Amino acid sequence: MTRYAELQARTNFSFLHGASHPWELVAGADALGHEAIGICDSNSLAGVVRAWSQMKKQREGGSKIRALTGCRLDFVDETPSLLVYPSDREAYARLTRLLTVGQLRAGKGGCELAWSDFLDHAEGQLILAIPPDRLDEAFAKQLRGLSRELPDLWLAAARRYGARDLERLSKLAALAQETGAPMVATNDVLYHGPERRPLQDVLTCIRENCTLQEAGLRLQAHAERHLKLPEEMARLFAKFPGVVERSVEIVERIDFDLSQLRYEYPDEPVPRGKTAIQHLRDLTWEGAAWRYPDGVPERVTSLLEHELTLIEKLDFPNYFLTVHDIVRWAREQDILCQGRGSAANSSVCFCLGVTSVDPTKAGKGMLFSRFISENRGEPPDIDVDFEHDRREEVMQYVYRRYGRERAAIVATIIHYRPRMAIRQVGKALGLTEDVTAALAGTVWGSYGDGVPDEHIRQTGLDSNAPEIRRATTLAQLLLGFPRHLSQHVGGYVLTQRRLDETVPIGNAAMKDRTFIEWDKDDIDALGLMKVDILALGMLTALRKSLTILGIPDIADIPPEEPGVYRMLSRADSVGVFQVESRAQMSMLPRMQPRKFYDLVIEVAIVRPGPIQGDMVHPYLRRREKRDEVTYPAPAPEHGPPNELRKILEKTLGVPLFQEQAMQIAIDAAKFTADEADGLRRSMATFRHYGNVGEYGVKFVEGMIRRGYDPEFAQRCFKQIEGFGSYGFPESHAISFALLVYASAWVKWAHPDVFCVSLLNSQPMGFYQPAQLVRDAREHNVEIRPPDILASEWDCTLEEAAALKRSESDAELRAVRLGFRQIKGLKEEEIRRLIQVRVEGARTLEDFALRGGVTHRTLELLAEADVFRSLGYDRRQALWAVKGLASEAGAEESAPLLARGRAKEAQVLLPFMSASQEVAEDYRTTSLSLRAHPVSFFRADLHRMSVTRCEELKHRRDRQRLCVGGLVLVRQRPGTAKGAVFLTLEDETGIANVVVWKDTFEANRRLVMSASFLVVHGQLQRAGEVIHLMAERFEDLTPRLGRLREDEAPIRARSKVSGQLIRSRDFH
Amino acid sequence: MAVVPQLALADAQPEADAEALVALVDWCVRFSPAVAVDGSDGLFLDIAGVDHLWGDEAQMMADLRARLAANDLMFRCAVADTAGAAWALAHFGQDGVIAPAGEQAELLRPLPPAALRLDPDAAAQIERLGIRRLGQLMDLPRAPLAKRFGVGVVTRLDQALGQGHEALSFRRPPTPWITGLTFVEPISAPEDMVRVAQDATIKLAARLEREGQGARRFELTYHRVDGKNLGVGVGLAIAGRDAARIAKLFAPKLEALDPGFGVESATLAAYEVEPIGGRQTRLDAARTIAPEDGLAPLIDRLANRLGKERVFRAVPVESHVPELAVRPARPLNPAHGRTPGWDPETPRPVRLFRRPEPLDGVIALTPDDPPNQFRWRGRTHRVRRAEGPERIAEEWWKADIEDISVGHVRDYYRVEDQDGGRFWLFRSGLYKAGHPARWWLHGLFG
Repeated sequence: MTRYAELQARTNFSFLHGASHPWELVAGADALGHEAIGICDSNSLAGVVRAWSQMKKQREGGSKIRALTGCRLDFVDETPSLLVYPSDREAYARLTRLLTVGQLRAGKGGCELAWSDFLDHAEGQLILAIPPDRLDEAFAKQLRGLSRELPDLWLAAARRYGARDLERLSKLAALAQETGAPMVATNDVLYHGPERRPLQDVLTCIRENCTLQEAGLRLQAHAERHLKLPEEMARLFAKFPGVVERSVEIVERIDFDLSQLRYEYPDEPVPRGKTAIQHLRDLTWEGAAWRYPDGVPERVTSLLEHELTLIEKLDFPNYFLTVHDIVRWAREQDILCQGRGSAANSSVCFCLGVTSVDPTKAGKGMLFSRFISENRGEPPDIDVDFEHDRREEVMQYVYRRYGRERAAIVATIIHYRPRMAIRQVGKALGLTEDVTAALAGTVWGSYGDGVPDEHIRQTGLDSNAPEIRRATTLAQLLLGFPRHLSQHVGGYVLTQRRLDETVPIGNAAMKDRTFIEWDKDDIDALGLMKVDILALGMLTALRKSLTILGIPDIADIPPEEPGVYRMLSRADSVGVFQVESRAQMSMLPRMQPRKFYDLVIEVAIVRPGPIQGDMVHPYLRRREKRDEVTYPAPAPEHGPPNELRKILEKTLGVPLFQEQAMQIAIDAAKFTADEADGLRRSMATFRHYGNVGEYGVKFVEGMIRRGYDPEFAQRCFKQIEGFGSYGFPESHAISFALLVYASAWVKWAHPDVFCVSLLNSQPMGFYQPAQLVRDAREHNVEIRPPDILASEWDCTLEEAAALKRSESDAELRAVRLGFRQIKGLKEEEIRRLIQVRVEGARTLEDFALRGGVTHRTLELLAEADVFRSLGYDRRQALWAVKGLASEAGAEESAPLLARGRAKEAQVLLPFMSASQEVAEDYRTTSLSLRAHPVSFFRADLHRMSVTRCEELKHRRDRQRLCVGGLVLVRQRPGTAKGAVFLTLEDETGIANVVVWKDTFEANRRLVMSASFLVVHGQLQRAGEVIHLMAERFEDLTPRLGRLREDEAPIRARSKVSGQLIRSRDFH
Repeated sequence: MAVVPQLALADAQPEADAEALVALVDWCVRFSPAVAVDGSDGLFLDIAGVDHLWGDEAQMMADLRARLAANDLMFRCAVADTAGAAWALAHFGQDGVIAPAGEQAELLRPLPPAALRLDPDAAAQIERLGIRRLGQLMDLPRAPLAKRFGVGVVTRLDQALGQGHEALSFRRPPTPWITGLTFVEPISAPEDMVRVAQDATIKLAARLEREGQGARRFELTYHRVDGKNLGVGVGLAIAGRDAARIAKLFAPKLEALDPGFGVESATLAAYEVEPIGGRQTRLDAARTIAPEDGLAPLIDRLANRLGKERVFRAVPVESHVPELAVRPARPLNPAHGRTPGWDPETPRPVRLFRRPEPLDGVIALTPDDPPNQFRWRGRTHRVRRAEGPERIAEEWWKADIEDISVGHVRDYYRVEDQDGGRFWLFRSGLYKAGHPARWWLHGLFG
């Protein structure tokens, strides 16, 4: 039996070269009986963790295969390419440092290495030199040079099925003899099986930007670059005895395995004489005293003790200290933050100030101890959200605190998505742009599953045509291939020893950012520590609200205010965190939240997981007391009948959270802790690997075996699959629910403050400023237009003209819109203008001549109608500033002339009609305080028998009618089976329209593009939730152009420039 | 595309559009010698003093419209005293309007400011002031207007109203490479026909030389008295203008022409005209022979005798499939385009059979060792030396995706038999136990 290990294999992380996933290569090599497989991607280690994880899986199945961590080094100088295998941990550190040097030197995604760089890091590396395509004296010379410098050098030789293979191999053998670098057989593998050749050819074409017809010799001549049986390798090298077995000799010299990268925590500054856990204990009790000024309750004390013991036992104190340090720094800078994640909802984190959720109050049976599980020796998971416009400060602090050698952002692997895959494959196959565009167009949004035939036919293409079949089949294969690495939004990996001795670090596209080659799955698999530093717009808005209201912390907001729940129960939630979306709004009246934990459920339930798992309606029926709350039980001989009751009681017997699903796996399906962990992992990576199915069978069978209803078991598992795509654990839901409550409280108690804070935190959230302003007005808040004499850059609060009160009986102030609402202005210019105002400027001339702002800015201000308080309407102001602006320029060059400014003849400009004013308001500020654009068309709409949006609530269920308005939002959620949701707005309110798939397909163009629409259909009401089921449409978009017209339209082909309103589309 | 999936897309081809516009401008010369390109999609015709040829402006426009329509072009046009007014009316007024002399101002009044050929920003701003028609703009005092929107606006207004001058840059069509001879008496004698060919060639060659040009193709047309045309053409391997040589190439073809009752005139046209350097070859003639003195005349003669497609040079094409890896090219001038050259690592036979010929009696070790012997055309060859296999797989993208197989390959071997004959043969398909291999001979090495 021949012993062999393939030592030259590239994965698809050698972008556009390799045509197999790392795991395919490892599994393939194992199946063929290789003793090891060496993963060597070009100047990169991006794929090695995935290969290593697959190796662990294979070994669980009894295999002995090794996945070797190596790298193919391609140099910018004359040095031949080398395969490098570090023989031990220290050599590995040198390799990652070498790659870091090369990557930091190059731009994003590149790596520039020279021979001298390598020599500095060559110690302990086992090296295989790769001969070039054409053997020449230059290579011989280089090889002689290499063999003098490097003690462990081999010469890699592959049978290439070329015309002169034997001659080439003989030359290599002679060269090996001469230089003392023994020849070793490889197959220079690009894919695990020969059937991947077409895909590899397509990748070549994408790389070379050509079609298959044009590619010529750039393609491989055949499909031989796959993993081969050891016996076949022996046959191919029969004339060169020993070269095949030599591969195993090299393998046996390698003593490095990725498992040696066990996590080394960064040392946190611990006061002298204290251990980390002592320090953590001190901080925790200090925090407890701050959180519970009236004395720490007994319950809390015992919980803290329990948690601290566990943290000490698992050796995590440094992790908590690290998170605490970041959060503490942010608090000192007055940056609002909030932690979430399994460990975040611990009492320790509450006392450390990482979260504002008091777990002893949030809900019963916190899951902390369960999910830093003792047998899962990996670090706990805490994500921290920060104010979105100040997160960068926090990130830079982390860099300062740990240094760039010890902190970097993890990577996000950008995969081929259906549209991109079909486009690129089509291009390589030589399909014309219109065909590939049509094929790509059949994939709606970013997450489709391939291209269904029926969609292809709809575009007028024949789905059975060979060209189309080739394109769709290959695109399917390309799906999920990595395209490039990008930086994760905020996941930091922190280490004690130099990070670049653990993983290569490269430049990000963004200045001052560096990121590592591994993504969070890799980090997880290796058990490295990661802290997610994320940005959240709502925290910015809350910070602004709290500052205005003088409330120090989210935790200080009065809890469990019934009025807040009453407001949410009537779906009055525009602007409120998370529950402002349309799906949430239609859920709120059914949920009727009454307490904090209801919000936790509300946040989690409107999610693809529970929806796909069909958990929503059972839950609601039980909540509305229409169904009885029951707990499925196992057969009596298998366990206590209440085993599920413990897990599911707080969600009325319906599993809604990821944690519950996991616990069911353990308690009801009798998974071991390791299996449950494997299940959780496969859920997280389910879309890339698709091995969740094995667990599915085990899960369902386990439950059925113990006497559970098979249908219930199936439903449980379906939900787990849903989580795989969009996991939403309870620990996150609790943190989010707190922000829901906090923002809802501000809205309820101080809608004026709420409006100002949201406007000043834009862009964020679901709604445009126009809707936020409208909502504030509906809550009695007076809104005032931007004005040169009154506005600041941000929106501000002014004394109201008339006394009005909020629901909480607070006095309302008026909101003055700030200059930030006006498109195209620069903040620093406006600051100068405001300074001039402070210094006494009171006329248009003062601002124009002394403000030191550009003509363009003055014109934008004039067009936005801010000079009205100075006595100028829009047109007069524009005319005046245009005149003054040119004088402002002249004044600098000829100050004498400027003094004698000539009096100009008065010019009469036409007045603006009301509709023109509104159109201009929208054009300059995206909203109008004067009137709603639709109001100008009310007479038309009336003639068309259009119902006002506000009247919908008085109409009968199933009544046929039509509504008309501006399209605010278009949504096509992945869970809605092809339905599209539209939100229309008229001057009286909004209407929610559902367009079922067939209706949508028949009216696709119109539904996708119209901005002013009349929808005919049937009313459907469920309690307070009203939808219109669309049947047909009338597109009134062209009429919007009329807003700008004078009394008599002019005949011309002059176009209305730009859209009046722009909807927010979520695909 | 999400909106109108069936929308047919065509890539914008700005260069092609510009070329087409220039061609249209040249074509318009039949209406007026003064034609100017306007932007990317329009043209100006200065018809001052030429409209009477059609009767009046209206009749001239009618003729222009009919001819444009006959060419399937979409268009709008207008006539006015000034280029600016005509542009405004053509773009924003009624199609086909003819502004009476001196009255364009009235016609312009209802048009939007954009009709003044302003940049879109300026036009949009003027409209934002509520000035939606040129009439309102004309009524405003000029000085404040210029102060706010620049003199450009006022200039354009004056140009449209005829109060300011506008210079258009007119285009002239290129000189066609054509020459003609007319005879006092119709000719028909063969030697006269030859002489005419010589005279015409000399005349055109002189012009080509003056402008440093040469041509690859010449076409000579004899116009018979009965109105019938007789045409002959010759091609050159490299662009040239040597009158004697070109005339010599014409000579053998003239015999076949039937002058009938006589030829009254002849035209000679040159095509594929390109610049060539005036070469002095005589001074160092001993050292190098320029192609036009050595191989070129031979190739010209062969090509004009045997047919152009029969004389070629075989150049490599980048393809793994041997029969696709070669293409015929012009016999001379290989410098045109990048030619990769033959790769010594993948030897290819000098003679490649158009169709591979089947072999029998092949003895070879499985799975892919070279054959030990084979029989071709009834004769058995014993293999003394062999190299291979060189494995070449099918171009899978020409097959249905379901039919792609890793077994669709050819294994090529370069072998030498007992007599030193060298052959290029291949086995089609990978070795499969129980399936007899099929062998083919695909070419011969020297």
